[in-house]
Amino acid sequence: MISLKNKKAAEKIISVYWFVILFIVAAAIVYMTASFYGKPYDARKIEADLLADKVAKCISEAGYLNEEVLEQQFLENFLGNCNINFNVEDAYGWREQEQYYIELNLSDFSSGEKILEIKEGNTKLKSFCNLKGDNLPVCLERSLYVINKDNNQYRADILSIIRKTEKNAQ
Amino acid sequence: MKKTGKRGNILTENIIFIVLNLAFLTILLLFLFSKTGSVAVLEEKYAKQIALMIDAAEPGMIINFNMKDAIEKAVEEGRNPANIVLINENVVTVKLSEKGSNPESSYSFFNDVQINANLDTTNNKEYFLVINKK
Repeated sequence: MISLKNKKAAEKIISVYWFVILFIVAAAIVYMTASFYGKPYDARKIEADLLADKVAKCISEAGYLNEEVLEQQFLENFLGNCNINFNVEDAYGWREQEQYYIELNLSDFSSGEKILEIKEGNTKLKSFCNLKGDNLPVCLERSLYVINKDNNQYRADILSIIRKTEKNAQ
Repeated sequence: MKKTGKRGNILTENIIFIVLNLAFLTILLLFLFSKTGSVAVLEEKYAKQIALMIDAAEPGMIINFNMKDAIEKAVEEGRNPANIVLINENVVTVKLSEKGSNPESSYSFFNDVQINANLDTTNNKEYFLVINKK
């Protein structure tokens, strides 16, 4: 009789422990799911990559420099000529503070002499590039090598920055 | 007689134990499905995906993409599936529900092109984007 009673009591304790373990597992799953889906998808790295690609395609074609880039008229409306539009949605006060920045430096490949420098967008964003943290703009640097029709070699350095912090990082 | 009573008791306890376990797991699964397939999550996901697709696109392209889960959700919410992807200037908005407005459902793109977003009426599961020069 004693052993039977003990067995029954032990079974009850096991089932209580079972529910405790089940509750802990469920709480962990709920916490992980809520923290994963509670955060927004961060699309800025891909966006910065695409922006750098867009600038690269604008200044070069099949490895050859687009000679128009060196003309003053082209530079005056660089964004328009490259089909880039920095307008953003009217959320979180983004209309007052630009969310993009691009910088292009074109230099002679052998001498390193600067031929051209273009800066478009929110110049303040550049100061965040050396800082570490989740709620900061995403910076991406790209370099490419181009030649012109006379086989002169150039190096193009592109820096693209995307802010959009409120919708991509929390 | 006593023996039969004990057996009945053990069976009831086991059934209650199994039912409680199943109820617990069901609640957990319901929570997971509600989180992963919620309107807000789908709106944000598709708005960003479409904006990135447009950024990567060139004039002359037609891009087809599957939005089956979002279209099903929009129908559940009583929204016309032909009007869930809206493009205004250079902002994509995905709206799957009539309730309120979620700022995360809109995302801007920098590619200065003209876009037409249409529902593929042949299967009602896909949308296609027609990219043209401005």
